[in-house]
Amino acid sequence: MKYFRSLPYCFAFCFLGLFSCTENTYVYEVNEINVEPNNAEKDKIKASGQYIAILYANLFQTALSPSELVDYAELIASIGDKQVAYETIIAKFLSSPDVVIPSKSEMDSNVGQFVIDTYQRFYVRNPSQAEKTYFVNYLESRPDVTPELVYFSFATSAEYNYY
Amino acid sequence: MKRRNFIKKAALATAGTIGVPYILPSGRLFASTAAAMSEHVVLVLFAGGVRNQETVYQRYLAESQGLNIEGNILYNMLSGDAPELKIVYGTQSAGGQPGGTPIDQILSTPLDKQGTLFPEMRYTGSYTGHYTGLSNALSGYYETSQGLQSRPLHPTIFEYLRRHAGMKATDTWFIGNSISSSTPLLNYSAHRDYGSDYAANFFAPTVTFGQLGDKYIKGFKTYHPEEELDPVREMRAFLDQAFLRDGRSIPNLNNTEAEIADIKAFIKNVFDRLDNDQVAFPPVADNGDLKTIGFAAEVMRWFKPRLTVVNMSSADSCHGSFTNYLGSLHRGDHGIGFLWDFIQNQTEMAGKTTMLVMPEHGRNYTPNAITDENDWVSFDHDSDENSRRIFSMMVGPGIDGNLRVGSESNPIGDAADITPTIADIFGIKNQVMNAGLVAPGAMSLFDRI
Repeated sequence: MKYFRSLPYCFAFCFLGLFSCTENTYVYEVNEINVEPNNAEKDKIKASGQYIAILYANLFQTALSPSELVDYAELIASIGDKQVAYETIIAKFLSSPDVVIPSKSEMDSNVGQFVIDTYQRFYVRNPSQAEKTYFVNYLESRPDVTPELVYFSFATSAEYNYY
Repeated sequence: MKRRNFIKKAALATAGTIGVPYILPSGRLFASTAAAMSEHVVLVLFAGGVRNQETVYQRYLAESQGLNIEGNILYNMLSGDAPELKIVYGTQSAGGQPGGTPIDQILSTPLDKQGTLFPEMRYTGSYTGHYTGLSNALSGYYETSQGLQSRPLHPTIFEYLRRHAGMKATDTWFIGNSISSSTPLLNYSAHRDYGSDYAANFFAPTVTFGQLGDKYIKGFKTYHPEEELDPVREMRAFLDQAFLRDGRSIPNLNNTEAEIADIKAFIKNVFDRLDNDQVAFPPVADNGDLKTIGFAAEVMRWFKPRLTVVNMSSADSCHGSFTNYLGSLHRGDHGIGFLWDFIQNQTEMAGKTTMLVMPEHGRNYTPNAITDENDWVSFDHDSDENSRRIFSMMVGPGIDGNLRVGSESNPIGDAADITPTIADIFGIKNQVMNAGLVAPGAMSLFDRI
């Protein structure tokens, strides 16, 4: 008898339980994008060891050995003007047969893509529209400018000295 | 009367010009200078820790090894007869003893006869460490808290000259004998009013042109200055304009584009000259100091710098070998004699160059426990009284010859005096002293005579 008296309460409880905690599930979707640093976040100057290790990897698409890294750091320390040191090393790198660099005809066949690739290789970011426009216009108007000279410019630029 | 008025007005205008500061082409304020005594200065830091006993006082083994053998082993710098016994400081001839053949004298008249010698100076302000000593020599200030891996806190003579005398970067050179002991950090200070904008150029040439340079930069490509480098400059200017606008900068020595091109041409030229055995090494160049001297001569030949500082350090072998120490002193003298002779054969520098020589500090009076192959004791530099004794000499236009200032019982001069002395030679002593950044009591050696 006692159980029958509490039955309505049990029904009421179950009824509330059925309708009070209904959870709606939403699925949000976003477009896939590559997250890359912009140049505003680069605020630290690379040490000469960092600079040369990254430069070597960028130009040869392989890592510099630890012993060579020490050698290069010592060589750079022996020259007071780092710009002189870097430029001589870059000039030596760029004349190596092992350097991985697009040919002039590859660059000319798709200048826009070459500019994007170069920004990504050296600056680890995409060019802004203004940057891309400048370089496309510049390279299309200067047939004498080779990929080697573009690489030299990027490798010796201020932004490349920062991370 | 008119002529007299003209001369009077011209004289007044000239006097006014001398006294009034003006703006350099670079935009920097350039206070007027006094007349320079010399167009070029070469400072040889006979460093590594050098005792007065074996140098200016010519006591050879007499005040170190308990042997009654005296004599002069620096006969390009000093007048005096060489030792007659136990000759170990020279080269080894075929069938001879190691070091048994002294190196031939280069200068027919020793430098003490040509110039002024301060035989008894003091290193007063700090402990006797190499980097502190070199830093003091170049800045005129004893950094009591100076540690390795940090730049001097007070401006160097290079920065004074570039800022107050308007010298360009390639007018001032520091040629270090290695990259160890933070030597490459001595071409400019961390002082906020000076710093890298006024730095000297630097080479540690035994590295730059040694094995590493030979392997990694020799034969680097030279780009055509207009056809190839003009587009590079244009592209780089575009790349840099936005990035550097945000206040970022690249510390550099303020070499102009033309100077950078000139330095690169020099590097290439030295490699070529090495290949053809044309580098101006001293007749004997069997240690790092003498090779460094040879490369310093190449820098002088190419750039004709206003100030060249060359650093030696082989004498520091005295920590473990007195025999090697004597050989290093003898070779240091050989290098200094060679350098002075070389300068006299450079048309643009002969008769217009002052050379100064000074160790950065001395060495102890009492030996350590190490003996060498001749069973001779060695000496450290622990800031005892003897390690604070140094000498200096200067030779060049307007400097009295055969003059000794001070004596063993009457010390005159301080290691911190070299910076004001060089400033004095170039006519900017007042600017340097008024900057108030040299050691208290430091003064031009000319004012101590």
